[in-house]
Amino acid sequence: MATSWPKDRRLIGKDIPRTDGPEKSTGRARYSIDMNPKGLLHAMILRSPYAHAHIDAIDVSAAEKTTGFKAVHEINGAGKEVYFAGDEIIAVCADTEEHCRDAMRAIKIKFTPLEFFVKEADALKNPQSKTISGPAKSNVAIGAEATKGDVAAGFKDAEKIVEADYGMPVICHQCLEPHGLVASWEGDRLTVWASTQAVVGTAQQLAATFKARIPQVDVKCITHYMGGGYGSKFGPDIQGIVAAELALKTKAPVKLMLNREEEITVGGNRPSAYGKIKIGGKKDGTITAYEVDCHGSPGERGGATVNLGLLPYVYLDTIPNWKRKHTVVRLNTGIARAMRAPGHPQNCVLTDCPVDDLAAALGIDPLIIRRKNLPPNDDKVAQSDPTAWLGQRNNIYVRELDLAVKLSEWEKKWHQPGQGGKGPIKHGIGMAIHTWGGSAVGNLGDGQPANDATVIIDRGGQVIVQSSTQDLGTAQRTVSAIVAAEILGLKVSDIVVRIGESPFGRSSGSGGSTTCPSQAPATLRAAIAARDDLFAKIAAKFGAKKEDLVIEEGKVVDKASKKGLDWKKACAMLGMDEAKGVGAWSSNMANEIDPDKKILVNPGVSNVQVGGVQVAEVLVDVETGVVRCTNFVAVQDCGLIIDKLTCESQVAGGVIMGVNYALFEDRIMDRHTGRQVNPDMEFYKLGGIQDLPRIKVAMVDMPERGVIGIGEPPTVSTAAAVGNAVFNALGVRVPYAPYSPENVLNALAKKGAKG
Amino acid sequence: MKEFTYYQPKSVDGAIGLLDAKWGKTELLGGGTDLLDLTKEYVAQPDKVISLTGIANFADIQVAPQTGKGSVVLIGAGARLAAIADHAHLQKIFPALTTAAGMIGGPQIRNMGTLGGNLCQRNRCWYFRDEHVHCLLKGGQKCFALDGENQYHAIFTQGHKCVIVSPSTLGPVLIALDATAEVQGPKGKRTLELAKFFFAPSGENEREHVLAPNEVVLSVKIPEKEGTRNASYEVRQKQSYDWPLVQAAVAFKADGGKATGVKIVLGHVAPTPLVVEAAAKEVEGKEVTDAVATAAGKAAAKDAKPLSQNGYKVKLVEVAVKRALLTAANPGKRQYWEV
Repeated sequence: MATSWPKDRRLIGKDIPRTDGPEKSTGRARYSIDMNPKGLLHAMILRSPYAHAHIDAIDVSAAEKTTGFKAVHEINGAGKEVYFAGDEIIAVCADTEEHCRDAMRAIKIKFTPLEFFVKEADALKNPQSKTISGPAKSNVAIGAEATKGDVAAGFKDAEKIVEADYGMPVICHQCLEPHGLVASWEGDRLTVWASTQAVVGTAQQLAATFKARIPQVDVKCITHYMGGGYGSKFGPDIQGIVAAELALKTKAPVKLMLNREEEITVGGNRPSAYGKIKIGGKKDGTITAYEVDCHGSPGERGGATVNLGLLPYVYLDTIPNWKRKHTVVRLNTGIARAMRAPGHPQNCVLTDCPVDDLAAALGIDPLIIRRKNLPPNDDKVAQSDPTAWLGQRNNIYVRELDLAVKLSEWEKKWHQPGQGGKGPIKHGIGMAIHTWGGSAVGNLGDGQPANDATVIIDRGGQVIVQSSTQDLGTAQRTVSAIVAAEILGLKVSDIVVRIGESPFGRSSGSGGSTTCPSQAPATLRAAIAARDDLFAKIAAKFGAKKEDLVIEEGKVVDKASKKGLDWKKACAMLGMDEAKGVGAWSSNMANEIDPDKKILVNPGVSNVQVGGVQVAEVLVDVETGVVRCTNFVAVQDCGLIIDKLTCESQVAGGVIMGVNYALFEDRIMDRHTGRQVNPDMEFYKLGGIQDLPRIKVAMVDMPERGVIGIGEPPTVSTAAAVGNAVFNALGVRVPYAPYSPENVLNALAKKGAKG
Repeated sequence: MKEFTYYQPKSVDGAIGLLDAKWGKTELLGGGTDLLDLTKEYVAQPDKVISLTGIANFADIQVAPQTGKGSVVLIGAGARLAAIADHAHLQKIFPALTTAAGMIGGPQIRNMGTLGGNLCQRNRCWYFRDEHVHCLLKGGQKCFALDGENQYHAIFTQGHKCVIVSPSTLGPVLIALDATAEVQGPKGKRTLELAKFFFAPSGENEREHVLAPNEVVLSVKIPEKEGTRNASYEVRQKQSYDWPLVQAAVAFKADGGKATGVKIVLGHVAPTPLVVEAAAKEVEGKEVTDAVATAAGKAAAKDAKPLSQNGYKVKLVEVAVKRALLTAANPGKRQYWEV
């Protein structure tokens, strides 16, 4: 039978506080870092102080004599090279954190420092040099050029052309709970309490690590609470494997969590993106051509920087002529990892900021140019699947633009760039738009969905939702409870949710905003299955046909006799049995087509692709260059909203991250030492409550589309919107973020010099 | 962090007796907001840590009226920054001091940090604070900031081998207010003008102040002068939990609409707080108008010799001085740049 969400929704879509809020806010919630099993040992990793060096020799003899020393585990031994300051060399284990640090410092390593680059400009000036690992011939990899249409003709057709530089620095992951885990062996069984956004994946990777040595290895990963991942915590990582190795070696539980400096230097980062952009258009707002030549650094191991295939981003299908070129610059710095919407915030700056500059050159309101260039609907898609993004994206953007304009009072507040007031404090307002996927995860190699959930109803009426999925702070625990409570006619607080343990079924890592669209439908199917199992098992005692049993709030009712029984009394009819249902979900199921009817089998359960519009207001002090983001409007769709309150909270969180990206964050590398000078929360600046705007979130509910993920999209266009607001205030583009006093004053001085 | 012996003497004499005559082996502990970091980063590795928190009356704030001449304020070196910021009488007579104290760090820092600690804390240079960088102040051969990452470093660099900025935000204010510090060492007590308290270090045996390793700051005395006007203005990138990029502290006597006895002191722009006499001269004997304040700002910034990345701070000096003067001249009045 086809799956569908209930038409009348008692709980789904309402404002429901997260169920674990009290645990978290009172400190009772125990995170992985809080786990201190009896006999716990502590481990740390000795890292390269150099940006690039050859390890000549490692001498641990002095360390072995220090108080409390237990064991070491070598990661990169003598004869190997280390490729950035922070690269792992050897891990040490001792009875206390303090002794562990003492032992680590007693290890003597002889290095031969080697040539390195930590600044993109330096590496680009030396394209023949290679200071990185792997087979690449150079640090600099120039990508192939891609074009659409006739760019030269497009620029010829333009009434105004703008050419300028735009750029975003590398920023670092700053999860409040650091990376790492606590590992404990009992025979062949390894239990880890990990700070991870992939509970099952972490268990699998650890099992694969030890399989050759311990064929019967059985790994259990537990993540009940999680202090943030944002894309940086998809597996055990080196530190997790090392903790398990040391636990095996010492026959004791071992904790290895990174400290703040390690967190920032090796915990992952968002690659930089610097682009030379040329954009041309006409007075009616038509963009005729766009050209981008950009570079960015994903750190030592390489990888993507911008999302090149999606440039010029939202306008990809609208702009008739474009050309794009991208150079990847590998540096001797920490490794890039997915960070909340990888590549998209950079893409958005590289398109939506030039779009505003073009609007200014054309003398038009940037709202006009955006409306003019919104991506078109695909009418064919709209006919075959009315819930699909492509068939209605233009309408969605228009609806969201209208809402954002109204909520931000754009018509009243927007002014010509540079007309932000008389005194030194200039007002500015800016806009940007974005898109993101957010689908359910697909089937695995065995053809089975990657996600499932189990719902158990016991004879006491207790309902348990069980899943191996993780709640990174995204309120997945609450979402599971809401879905089960909705189907079973109960209150959210009646549901016990057990998640974050790898033996509880299948689940995928929380990346790409896929968790809610995978797990909510799985829970829906499990709850329906459990309910039907209950009906089947109690029908006889109830004196009803199972087909006639229905759920009403707090009751099981026989449609035929109109007889109703309180939930607990009905469940008591299970006797010694229990009712149970397992539900699975995948994008394959969401996309399944009925071969006869040629329509979706399960329409509107989960979907993919969302849009959003954001408007930032700033005050810029032109004497000091200080920028304050004062007001913010975020309009966002995500299909069917399960919990409006936590959904809005996700959007606000995305905006907060984006404002920090725009105004404060900057990984500063030192050219001479090869080290990051600000691996901390002192000079790696993060806004406090006084530095953040009043955020107005407006969710565009489209229940007919089904569930779509919300984690990533709301952070995508924030920095571009803030950048455009600063431009609107000053009439001068501050080319590079962060929009700090230094960068703002330098941009103003440059303009002054030009006259 | 290295293990040390912890002492909590009950008297100043007891503390001085425990101190070493050389830097490095012993450290004084006030609120611990700086020392804890330094030891965890292995920049400080003392054998003995001597807490001053056991000394009676060390955190007192006393206001002693002087007949006909205003009052004298005596603040114990152990006074918490929060206690200074929240002191109602100080808020009235020395808004420069209470404003500055109230903006340091965050509430946690202000509730632990002390006056003595704010004056004697070590600098925040990121090279100095990195265990793996052997800079001048740690016995090395070079200052890494000179040709390195220096966006937050000194802009008055002339004559300095090490281009840190003085981290003390209360120092410039106390200098502007003609404060003195009472200091005690093995040979007894001495009184030191705050203007002579700070020092630009360039080696591992020097600190950011002139005290000997076995001297302790007991208290700071500030004279209240009749008709005194004072203010401190900070340019900060963040409003919460950030260091000032530039600070200006000003004090003068409002004499029938004219400013006399003008003092202008800059913070966070040089290895020590910087008294800028040329700027004070622009104001002396004049009414503090926009034009006068602007001229003073320009005079204050005139001699700056910024490094490769911090030229922007020169402009900030001009603005901070101008705004501090206008704030002091118009107490309680909302200023045109305030939002």
